[in-house]
Amino acid sequence: MTEPKHQDTTNNSLVKFLSSPIARALFALILVIIIGLIRNADGSFFKFETHRDMLRHISRYGILACGMTIVIITAGIDLSVGSLLGITAVIFSLTTLHLGWGAFLAIPLTLLAGVGCGLMSGTLIGKFKLQPFIATLAMMVFARGVAKYITGGEKITRAIQKGNEFVYVDLPGIFAFLNSRVLNDSVAVVTIIFLICLLISWLLLDKLRWGRYLYAIGGNEEAARLSGVPVRAMKLLAYGISGFFCAVAGMCQAASEQQGDPEAGQTYELTAIAIVVIGGTNLMGGRGSIWLTLIGALTIGYLEKILSINAVSEAGRLMLTGAIIVGAVLFQGTKKR
Amino acid sequence: MKKMIALMLVAMLVGIFGCTKEPQQPAGTETKPTGTEPAAKTSWMIGMSQCNLGEPWRVQMNADVKAAAEKQPELTVLFKDAQNDSLKQVSQMEEYITQGVDLIIISPKEAAPLTTVVAQAVEKGIPVIVLDRRVVGDEYTCFIGADNKKIGKAAGEWIVKKLGGKGNVVELKGLMTSTPGQDRHTGFREGIKGSDIKIIFEADMKWLEPEARKEMESALARYDNIDLVYAHNDPGAHGAYLAAQAAGREKDILFVGIDGLAHEGQMYVKEGILAASFEYPTGGKEAVETALKILHGEDVPKEITLDSTVYTADSFK
Amino acid sequence: MTLTVDTTAAPPLLLQTSDISKDFAGVTVLEKVQFDLRPGEVHILAGENGAGKSTLIKIIAGVHTEYSGQVDIQGFTVRMKNPLDAEKYGIAVIHQEMSLVPSMSVADNIFLGRENTHAFGWLNHNYQKQQAHEILRELGLEGINVSLPLEEYPISVQQMIEIAKALALKSRIIIMDEPTSALTDPEVEKLFAIIDQLKAKGCGIIYITHKMEEIYRIADRITVLRDGKYIGTADAEDLPANKLVNWMVGREITEQFPPRTGTPGAVSIRLENFSVPNPGQGAKWLAHDVSLEARAGEIIGLAGLQGSGNSALLQGIFGAYGPIAHGRVFLNDKPYTISHPRHAINSGVALLTSDRKATGLVLGMNITRNITLAALDDFSPGGWLKHGQEVDAAQKHREALRIKADRLEQEVNSLSGGNQQKVALAKWLQTKPRVLLLDEPTRGVDIGAKAEIYRLMNQWTSEGVTILLITSEMPELLAMSDRIYVMSRGKVTAHYQRGDATQEKILHAAMGHDIGLN
Ligand SMILES: Nc1ncnc2c1ncn2[C@@H]1O[C@H](COP(=O)(O)OP(=O)(O)OP(=O)(O)O)[C@@H](O)[C@H]1O
Ligand SMILES: [Mg+2]
Repeated sequence: MTEPKHQDTTNNSLVKFLSSPIARALFALILVIIIGLIRNADGSFFKFETHRDMLRHISRYGILACGMTIVIITAGIDLSVGSLLGITAVIFSLTTLHLGWGAFLAIPLTLLAGVGCGLMSGTLIGKFKLQPFIATLAMMVFARGVAKYITGGEKITRAIQKGNEFVYVDLPGIFAFLNSRVLNDSVAVVTIIFLICLLISWLLLDKLRWGRYLYAIGGNEEAARLSGVPVRAMKLLAYGISGFFCAVAGMCQAASEQQGDPEAGQTYELTAIAIVVIGGTNLMGGRGSIWLTLIGALTIGYLEKILSINAVSEAGRLMLTGAIIVGAVLFQGTKKR
Repeated sequence: MKKMIALMLVAMLVGIFGCTKEPQQPAGTETKPTGTEPAAKTSWMIGMSQCNLGEPWRVQMNADVKAAAEKQPELTVLFKDAQNDSLKQVSQMEEYITQGVDLIIISPKEAAPLTTVVAQAVEKGIPVIVLDRRVVGDEYTCFIGADNKKIGKAAGEWIVKKLGGKGNVVELKGLMTSTPGQDRHTGFREGIKGSDIKIIFEADMKWLEPEARKEMESALARYDNIDLVYAHNDPGAHGAYLAAQAAGREKDILFVGIDGLAHEGQMYVKEGILAASFEYPTGGKEAVETALKILHGEDVPKEITLDSTVYTADSFK
Repeated sequence: MTLTVDTTAAPPLLLQTSDISKDFAGVTVLEKVQFDLRPGEVHILAGENGAGKSTLIKIIAGVHTEYSGQVDIQGFTVRMKNPLDAEKYGIAVIHQEMSLVPSMSVADNIFLGRENTHAFGWLNHNYQKQQAHEILRELGLEGINVSLPLEEYPISVQQMIEIAKALALKSRIIIMDEPTSALTDPEVEKLFAIIDQLKAKGCGIIYITHKMEEIYRIADRITVLRDGKYIGTADAEDLPANKLVNWMVGREITEQFPPRTGTPGAVSIRLENFSVPNPGQGAKWLAHDVSLEARAGEIIGLAGLQGSGNSALLQGIFGAYGPIAHGRVFLNDKPYTISHPRHAINSGVALLTSDRKATGLVLGMNITRNITLAALDDFSPGGWLKHGQEVDAAQKHREALRIKADRLEQEVNSLSGGNQQKVALAKWLQTKPRVLLLDEPTRGVDIGAKAEIYRLMNQWTSEGVTILLITSEMPELLAMSDRIYVMSRGKVTAHYQRGDATQEKILHAAMGHDIGLN
């Protein structure tokens, strides 16, 4: 119910811009960057590598956040993204490292697994009317269990046990590629993949009819249904896409760790949600944009980076991160209904 | 339709139990003797309570116990996983006691909540071997564990020797809120005391490879001259290696980790990624050997400290 | 910051506001507005949609806190910081858009924000329930189970509960923003009886409505706003309807209901023994065994009290309840299977629901996107949206329906209630329906726009569209319908040709059957 703060001022476009969600999200980012400029850790913050590596590190979370944004816009939530990242990382490692499949076989299979899990959540939510929180919570636990089951709880590494001996396989080309940098060493491949995911999300949300439907469902599901919006199909789409992005992030995870860890991705869902929320997309659904999520990812990424180059203790990091999240969200005034 | 889904879920559950039970019953062992044979014991049932099978190292511990037990035909081992929940572990211990197993091996999650139940078992006449983490007091039969401080110290001393007494070192710590993290830290600092080794950068990497990589990137951005990275576990050391490799600096830096698992630390050493990995032994084998002694009525020491092996390139020649 | 109210001295004015101005992000919506309220009077606040009526009362009620000007309550200048403040000053508000919590019980809703508690903050449930029951009984709603969640009740009952909530405050200043827009006639009568009681007790009532006959039944004085400007205040006797309209609209409106012309064409929709089963609890059928037909170019009125099944019938036809296979439906003489709304829309059927907030609009989306939502396929060949075409279409409707909005990118929840209704209507027109099911199409719409909508209804029917019309406004029903079916308890109880129907006959059929059954 809070009103914008600039009631009695004159109407000019700067005021309008400053009250737009993008501007508010940017404010938090700029704040964090200013902290970085001040606490620059002997100039480390001014080095190109710092920014490049920050982008690499945040990209996996960002990819998850793309799917999360889409789901949150439908007034849902996907708690299973971390587990799906784990299970797809395992599947990708298992097929490429242990079974020796080529990338052209392993990638589609991994993507299929991610989409399949997402569609399962979507079915529970769309068709069986489970609350998204519950359905994806179940999927989160279930997928983690499957990941542990197929690996027997161990990491899938390049060491393969044959009897009592270990044989080591070479790192497959696809791992090396996903873990490398392009464009004159200036940007990590995972960052490019993140950008592509952003682009896909943007096309979906802003340019396609389906995107409009997703917003409508999040804003008022009943009104959307009565306007002929295929609600179930759209929920399948949202969670399916989220699963797809999880698989993409899972492959990046496997490549950067050079192994498939069944534990990988724990608590990643919280980071993904934090990115979306810091960007200013409303958890109530119906509002938000993928560019806000990009800003949110940069904010979290820079924050972590600055804390890291200054070697701040873990306790300090947690407190600061919590404070910044609250600060950013308060500033955005998401209380607005 | 909902009912059908529910049915399917139940069917799946049954299926999963079918699958998971199998490995719990060690292959090749006959069904346990029932009360029909009150004669002198020739076969024993051991209950193994593991606090968290989510950690690969603990998976390894169980595997070690299982492998050692398989060599002893008179032993049957039951495995239970407390899934990182102390209270669950308490009730699993109670189950073993009620069941009347002949001996219990427990790797407790935390000391305080599990002390009473261990004491109860001992009172009931069931010997208890405590593995890796301790319980409070001395109401147990035998403690077997490695000493993180000792390992940290060994690593420190090894590093001093390797670097010739001076150099710039990055320390990537596990969780400093956890005892192993603290011990591997203090032990290491003891080990390098008196040398000219400088710790130029230290950070928590929460035992996680991606975190270690992120922290190492920061260290690399900040310092041009890093001689060695000491990480509290092998994934951490590997993450640091990947960061250095991405920066093209992996040749100038040595990486040292802890744990020395066959498919992890040992592999990295063999491939020349890590300069050294200090084994953190699971004690699984020793536990089974000690158990056998106890069951045969032999005396065992109250406390057994495991030796750590260093894996370096030389180990694999 | 507390205000001691000296009731014995009885100040002449309960409330006085002077020179109130307000803008939203630079758009001025109120400009130096005057308003006052005497004890024991009903003061009507009138004006077109978007004139600023709701905004003014929200300032008085402490909802909007940033404004310029002065508010005096019983002679004291106050500046309220929130709605709770206003309650303390003895102001109770029945807002235009309902402010209840659907999932909470009726009793809890009535006492929301001022729960009755024992020591240590324990809720005194029984006392609250008892009180709630008492208050509802005064409103003639003894049948309501105050322990049930609010959403179990139809919107008209919910509106009565909202009124009950305001009355529970026992305030001296009671503000009612279009309280009757969702009420049926008998309920309106109950409300008016209560207003009389309140007046007798010395309460002052600010009343906003677009219904002329209501104004002249209860008004003591009338204040008119136009485009956020103060036009004037007059005693009701001194302001006859045509002058009032002139004040509101700024021009004369010659005829409220344009005459129906043209001859009906072929039968476009026919129901044969059509029934709508009840998806919830209670009676088995919402509408039972309904047979009717409507021709191209006809407006068919569907009369009935709340719960008579006329709304359910329209929703059933539209597929809002999912597939229905009881009885038969023909569109243009071809059998039509009811499956879901999308199918209905594609078959040329559109349904304007009666509750624009809950089922009509996506409030957080902008005007353009709401208007194109139901016809989005037309704006997205191959799935790709054509934003330009969307804006063009929305612009056309904005002009045709005179939607008062600053920009088309405005979210619809920042529109005035009447303009929201117009957006909802525009959405369905955009689907180019052949059969238009209208459930309360002029709810909350101002007098000028109403005339405009009636004119458009005539225009659409002259183009061959069939309209099934539900309205709680009897004059509208009588004037616009070519034929009227009356429903009661889910069944059709009477059928009148234009000219045969009178208010008495319709009410009799709507209730008579009811009485006959008991
Ligand atoms: N939160 C808001 N942000 C921007 N504009 C707003 C907001 N609330 C109201 N307005 C604008 O203020 C004007 C007055 O609105 P208000 O709701 O007071 O009208 P009203 O007289 O009550 O109309 P109606 O009879 O249709 O209910 C409208 O043009 C509306 O678009
Ligand atoms: Mg209004």
